[in-house]
Amino acid sequence: MLDSLLAVGGLVLLRDSVEWEGRSLLKALIKKSALRGEQIHVLGCEVSEEEFREGFGSDVNSRLVYHDLFKDPLNWSKPGEAVPEGPLGALRAMCRRTDPGPVTIALDSVSWLLLHLPCVTLCQTLHALSQPRVSPGTNSLVEQVRVLGLLHEELHGPGPTGALSTLAHTEVILSGKMGQTSASILCRRPQQRATYQVDPTAHLTFNLHLSKEEREARDSLTLPFQFSSEKQQALLRPGPGQTTSHIFYEPDAFDDVDQEDPDDDLDF
Amino acid sequence: MAAAATCGAGVLSSGFVASTTRQSDTTSFQRRSKASGADGGGPRLLSIAGTRPSVRNGQLLVSTGLPALDQLLGGGLAVGTVLLIEEDKYNMYSPLLFKYFLAEGIVNGHTLLVASAKEKPADILQELPAPQLDDNGKKELDDIHNPQTPDTDVNMKIAWRYQFLPKMQVGPVSSSRFGHYYDVSKRISQELLGSSKWHGFFLPEHITTELKGESCSLSRGYMKLLEFIQNIIYTEGFDGSNPQKKQKNILRIGIQNLGSPLWGDYICCTENCDNSLRLTKFLYILRGLLRTSLSACIITMPTHLIQNRAITTRVRNLSDTVVGLESFIGSESETNPFYKDYHGLIHIRKIPRLNNLTCDEWDVKDLAFKLKRKLFTIERLHLPPDLSDTVSRSSKQDLADSAKLLGPGCGMMAGGKKHLDF
Repeated sequence: MLDSLLAVGGLVLLRDSVEWEGRSLLKALIKKSALRGEQIHVLGCEVSEEEFREGFGSDVNSRLVYHDLFKDPLNWSKPGEAVPEGPLGALRAMCRRTDPGPVTIALDSVSWLLLHLPCVTLCQTLHALSQPRVSPGTNSLVEQVRVLGLLHEELHGPGPTGALSTLAHTEVILSGKMGQTSASILCRRPQQRATYQVDPTAHLTFNLHLSKEEREARDSLTLPFQFSSEKQQALLRPGPGQTTSHIFYEPDAFDDVDQEDPDDDLDF
Repeated sequence: MAAAATCGAGVLSSGFVASTTRQSDTTSFQRRSKASGADGGGPRLLSIAGTRPSVRNGQLLVSTGLPALDQLLGGGLAVGTVLLIEEDKYNMYSPLLFKYFLAEGIVNGHTLLVASAKEKPADILQELPAPQLDDNGKKELDDIHNPQTPDTDVNMKIAWRYQFLPKMQVGPVSSSRFGHYYDVSKRISQELLGSSKWHGFFLPEHITTELKGESCSLSRGYMKLLEFIQNIIYTEGFDGSNPQKKQKNILRIGIQNLGSPLWGDYICCTENCDNSLRLTKFLYILRGLLRTSLSACIITMPTHLIQNRAITTRVRNLSDTVVGLESFIGSESETNPFYKDYHGLIHIRKIPRLNNLTCDEWDVKDLAFKLKRKLFTIERLHLPPDLSDTVSRSSKQDLADSAKLLGPGCGMMAGGKKHLDF
């Protein structure tokens, strides 16, 4: 399940509530992608860094880059600075980072950001953050950026939640009953057509392939109505007494002859 | 033209005028020239590719790309009007209608203007569906792009009697110049895209710095878009401002996800915001731009997210044609056996009354759509036919009961528990 969530890039929204908390799921996803070798950037706003890093092994912790907004969000400890960066600055800095390789960004939590930033700005920044970017360098690969966001459902009205849902590629809604947590995953898949052809002769118990001799023997077989080419031409050319009949057929709007699915209109 | 001839004959027959009547300046009747005057609109029969006059009120119509939708809208979309598509909840089917509109523009040779805040216009154009053309259409396109040698006929070994028969077209094709069918499973060819003329507006490219607060009544994104559209209309002469242009063309404008937070609008986030009139002002100014030029516009809007119902009503009022999509994904209607053949409902909420007092409304209000593998179809919502008792269908009692819940607008009798024997 975690693999399918991490498969595609874009924004993954984890919606939790007071009864069914989602931070453990967020940490599990972070651990999974760290074990794949990706770099993780965490924007921590709600819990302290020690509490967040608790439970991770040293290999995961080494890949985790923690941007701390919990300890000092308004920059009071450095009074000399002109303009405090704030959460928006931190997000924009993450957009502009230039280190190569696939990256996962975890936002803990989007609710905190939604309460401190205007909704429109946050939506635009999240959209810019989750765009696949072309890696700088000689090989311009398109890298998928994964953004995991934790959203606490009860804190917001239907407006901001709906707006963020439209931005998200995947949504995981945590709910449950009687002590059992369940997650319902809503995944928005872009329309993709399979371009590979499944080989039907692959896994059969009998042999459908032809050897070279068999193929030659098959080609040299004379079929019953296969005439010589002169007789074929003579038959094809309409004689003086014959009239050829032409069929003019124009399929209209209700005719949908789909070669791959001729049984489309049958109902079993 | 006939009037000029008779007048000339009349002058000749008067006999007293010795001067020659071959010169047209002696008569006051002038032959009407085709490209005279810069005023657009009116029932003048302009010969622009991909348009036809409406049989109801003489308005110039363009196709929306879906012949079924054209029929529901009374022949097509009138030039100079706005088609508003209210998006379905997960935005799965409205991009398809958007792409049909743009693909129709490319096939007809119209100029496109694509505006989006979410995707780059070049990416949107790459995903357009391929047109299904009959042999005449294919021949025309081939002549335009690259003259190909005719392929040699394949020598058939067993079915040699069918060798010289023409290949049958599968699926509906349109041999007319108005309204083409598209194959959703294939992408449009690169030659066709390359030969088309389009302009793209991607919002993050035009808004670079973020100001702290916006005090103007129209949001900066909307203002930039309006300026862009006006610029294109003026420089390319769609409003008749460039009199040297002989060949008139239509500008097809497509705006995606208007009103969403990515365009900088707050109507989807809060119910009462300070500048809630931005979107309605934008639509008002846009309509003014469209009415004075040869253009047609499609807008998709996530109206299910707009928190204030008054804004939704105003937006519908300001648009000319409004079509709403409601998909069954994730809702309880998905398991309803009545809806099992379809993917969603389509609501024609408004049809414009242009230059006349009545509009042509389709009498069927229950329409459903289905996205097949290659085609997007719109059909009347109705029960399957009542076949004989031995044919097993999902029980007719359930269907009749659920049809009763829907109300009397379905065009069938509600008490369908008895089988009718003929």
